[in-house]
Amino acid sequence: MLEITNLNLYIDDKVLFSNLNLTINNGEIHVLMGKNGIGKSSIAKTIMGDKNYKVEGKIIYNGQNITNLSITERAKAGIYIIGQNPIQIEGVTNAEMLRAVLAEKTGEQVNIFAFNKELEKICSSLELDKSFIHREINVGCSGGERKKIELLHMWMLKPQFIILDEIDSGLDVDALKVVANSLKKYYDLYKPSMLIITHSNTLINVFDNYFVHLIANKQIIKSGDKNLATDILNKGFKEISEESNTFVISEN
Amino acid sequence: MNKLLVSDIIDIKKGEYYFKCQTNDLVINVTDVVTIYLFNENLAKLDINLNKGSSLKIYLFNNSIQSNLEVNINQSDDSKLYYNAAFINTSDVLYKINNYIKGNNNISNINIRNISNSGNSRIIINVDVLSNTKDNIALEDLKGINNGGTVHIEPNIIVLSNEVMANHLTTIGSVDKNALEYLMSKGLEYEGAKEILLKGFIYSNMDNKIGENFGGD
Repeated sequence: MLEITNLNLYIDDKVLFSNLNLTINNGEIHVLMGKNGIGKSSIAKTIMGDKNYKVEGKIIYNGQNITNLSITERAKAGIYIIGQNPIQIEGVTNAEMLRAVLAEKTGEQVNIFAFNKELEKICSSLELDKSFIHREINVGCSGGERKKIELLHMWMLKPQFIILDEIDSGLDVDALKVVANSLKKYYDLYKPSMLIITHSNTLINVFDNYFVHLIANKQIIKSGDKNLATDILNKGFKEISEESNTFVISEN
Repeated sequence: MNKLLVSDIIDIKKGEYYFKCQTNDLVINVTDVVTIYLFNENLAKLDINLNKGSSLKIYLFNNSIQSNLEVNINQSDDSKLYYNAAFINTSDVLYKINNYIKGNNNISNINIRNISNSGNSRIIINVDVLSNTKDNIALEDLKGINNGGTVHIEPNIIVLSNEVMANHLTTIGSVDKNALEYLMSKGLEYEGAKEILLKGFIYSNMDNKIGENFGGD
């Protein structure tokens, strides 16, 4: 589904990644772990098409080279990102934005009755008051509410490749449980591919199987199954990095 | 809601009014708690007199302002003003408000949103809290978006009294790049994302009834 080949990534002439390779097949879940500031979010944003990054190499999605496609084209192809701190947009409601996106996607006006019914159902499953449907996007919302609203959008837009950039950060235990269960339900139903960036295994442990990649020194230095996440969390980045014979330099 | 075609001078008491008029010059005298929705592309001069104890919430929406507008607002004692205006200009335009607070215990809250599609938009808001007055509040929230044209805002609060709470917020910018990219990441084209953001901005200080009566959502 997604194949990153020999990717060199720069921002303001600073090298973030060098010769990065990563393949995520249909229905696979891949987890990126690494120290703060190492560039994990930059990979996520680059896949989504953030033009602040200079990219060399190739990103192939469903057989199509998307390296130079716009954010919109990638979103229309089924790629979806939930960022660490979803922004708020004054004056635009969740319903208004979703109606516009769905109308653009299908070329038809949205059936308001069915649309509202579906939104209300999703809100209920996310333990989100249905008043959020007609509230401005993320305006005045807590961190937990913002993440749930992004999941509300995800359920409505039904993407096939989902990037979760620390969706679990800053959530209380109850909100984390709701978010994790919602993602698991979506995965079981639609079998999307996922790229998850996290510093904990609470969220990822709701999934039966996943691959883990440790990032250091501008590269993926070690890959493994879910046991690698447990190892990293038990031993720390430094010890695992040393085990993989890579000298870790400061990300600064 | 009362729907009236009005001209020149109107005296209004308690209630909610929807005015669609073509007059160039309008005087509104308020003596009670009133909400007004006003649509007029040709309005050049608007005088508002808030009598003692009165309250006015006014919404002026103009999606293609055609002429300069000068608004003079007089407040005496114990009055409340919530002035909300949103307009789009496609040519040079001057939008000027002179708000005179002459007595005690008044609230003046002026909110303006402007998108300048072409030409220069000059917004001058003068709130004068006169001497020998007390317990007045003067607030200005003025925002403009340069969208091909240019917005210029002059927020002036002139206070000649010691006991006043005054604050002004002025922002001029272009369409938020992060917001654009956020909406594009959901699947909207650049133009569609921009349109939805501009629409959200211009309606952000408007009541829902503006949409119902003037064709918006």
